Amino acid sequence: MLEINELRKRFAGGPDAPGGKVALDGIGFTVRPGEMYGFVGANGAGKTTTMRIVMGVLQADSGSVSWQGRPLGYDDRQRFGYMPEERGLYQKMRVAEQIEYFGRLHGMAAPVAKKATDDLLERLGLTERKGETVQALSLGNQQRVQLAVALVHDPEVLILDEPFSGLDPIAVDALATVLQERCRGGVPVIFSSHQLELVERLCDSVGIVSAGRMVATGTVEDLRAAESNTLRVVVRDPAPGWADGLPGTVTVHGDRHTLRTAGGDDQEILRRAVKAGRVEHFGVEQPTLTEIFKEAVA
Amino acid sequence: MNGLLLVARREVATQIRTRAFVIGLIVTGLLVAALSFAPKVLGGDGDTYKIGLVNSQQLPLHTAAPDIEFEWRKFADEPAAKQAVLDGDVDAVLVDDARVLTDGEIETELGVLMQSVNREFKLGAAGVAIPPLEMQSVGADTRYESARRGIATVLVLVLFMLIIGQVVMVAMGVVEEKGSRIVEILLSSVRPWQLLGGKIVGLGVLGMINLVVILAVGLGAAMASGLAAEFPPGIPGLVAAVLAWFVLGYAFFATLAAAFASLVSRQEEVNSVLTPLTMVIMGTYFVSFYSTNDPTGTLATVMSYIPPFSSMIMPVRMAATEVPMWQVGLSMAAMVLGVLAALAFGAKVYERAVLRTGARLKLGDVLRSR
Repeated sequence: MLEINELRKRFAGGPDAPGGKVALDGIGFTVRPGEMYGFVGANGAGKTTTMRIVMGVLQADSGSVSWQGRPLGYDDRQRFGYMPEERGLYQKMRVAEQIEYFGRLHGMAAPVAKKATDDLLERLGLTERKGETVQALSLGNQQRVQLAVALVHDPEVLILDEPFSGLDPIAVDALATVLQERCRGGVPVIFSSHQLELVERLCDSVGIVSAGRMVATGTVEDLRAAESNTLRVVVRDPAPGWADGLPGTVTVHGDRHTLRTAGGDDQEILRRAVKAGRVEHFGVEQPTLTEIFKEAVA
Repeated sequence: MNGLLLVARREVATQIRTRAFVIGLIVTGLLVAALSFAPKVLGGDGDTYKIGLVNSQQLPLHTAAPDIEFEWRKFADEPAAKQAVLDGDVDAVLVDDARVLTDGEIETELGVLMQSVNREFKLGAAGVAIPPLEMQSVGADTRYESARRGIATVLVLVLFMLIIGQVVMVAMGVVEEKGSRIVEILLSSVRPWQLLGGKIVGLGVLGMINLVVILAVGLGAAMASGLAAEFPPGIPGLVAAVLAWFVLGYAFFATLAAAFASLVSRQEEVNSVLTPLTMVIMGTYFVSFYSTNDPTGTLATVMSYIPPFSSMIMPVRMAATEVPMWQVGLSMAAMVLGVLAALAFGAKVYERAVLRTGARLKLGDVLRSR
């Protein structure tokens, strides 16, 4: 289990921000083995800073990160897989050599690293490109190589900063499949993304961060349950004043009347609607992650 | 240690395959070879005097001055010999074993030589034998002075080019990793000192390959051209010393270059951030170059003890003149201390600065941080 507790970080002020800038103001969440955790938030909310602190690239001012119940150390991080926000590869190095090199830096023996590299290239559809230099690849393919670098040493934890950005839908699916496999193997996966539909589809849990604070964290279902779910009723050509006394608001489009309400007796509302006219729709609307997100950061 | 070696191996493996490295190696090899043949081709065969004879005997001038070549021509009569002198075909003509014809004043060396040999020759014929003066030098051995000077000059150039070349490579490599954030991934699997050390060792090995090729080609060509015959004794020792001094000088400058380079995030900024360091290297080079002409002077002597200047000036002094072992040892010990200080300082700056991407960092801020 990866636990992130009360991380705080302030960056020293420059000429444009004399007092410094608070980047993290008590970020904390937990990721269980085999859990895919989506990390969402506006630009500058603190996602990257959090991930960099987890990877030891940055020091937190206070707070802690622990793995398997112990403070996370250098040796643990060697078994983590990391994809930084700004992609980092040696442009003039060949694809397969590069992935193998990072495998070996993580302590793999040469033949093991080679085998793992070949497998990954196969999975990511890069086998034919293995002898090319990275700079000869398209951005999407470079991103696949970047992912391969994060995965080559069969990491215990995956920390991926915006792994899906800039990928076409097919590449997104290929990457998502690979991540889901690792996840099923018991690896906690944390990734940040602005593609909320994707996060909703892939992730078991979500953390929403805004201005350096966690504004919501939990499973997607929990977050939905926490939202006040809206009952939406659409009645065609109802008798005037049919909704008088009912909670909520009514909007009218032509002869279509829509009642939205967060409370009240739903059975009573249904009876009134049926009496008033033709009921075209009656249901509880589940908020999308996008709506939850907008609500949370508002 | 394993991480360091992996990093070093990558540096060697990627650089050695580049066209720039291979072509660079071939070009320097050819240049050095050409340099070894140049004195024979351009310098000719030293001094030659052409001397005419009219009704005279050859004087044993060559015995008296083995370094100088003499060509003798016989003329039938004096007018023909005179014409040859005026045309510049001969430098002097000996007539009747008694007179010397020249065009204007005779060259001092030739004049003195002819007078003294003539005197000795005539005395010998009369039965008087004069034992030649025995020459004894109580100062430095100056027989190889010009060869030593030549070797020292080539050495300065080679050391300077290699050190500045490799040092810039180290700096660019550091910025490549920092600017592209590869360093973030690297530092989650290796320690900063492993990354820094691996880069310095790897590029140092490449510099060594260059240096060894230059020395091997240079010595090989010198032997082939016959230039090696004029070399002073102790060349193997000098070669070993040059390699050792290169390692020390490179380690010093490369570590500092890596530290300075870690302050910036863009390749365009490398030059300006390295300026103080390249100035020091240039300064070292100029003093070294000056020392080839005045290897025993105060400037050369003093600077050959002060790191990092000593890394280039001491080998130059060693090539240009004879330096007692204790002086070399003392200077090397000081340089080793200098390298250790550079390593301590460089590693500290690098470790603190290399993850702070963005605007150029100030050295003072980095040292004060944490």
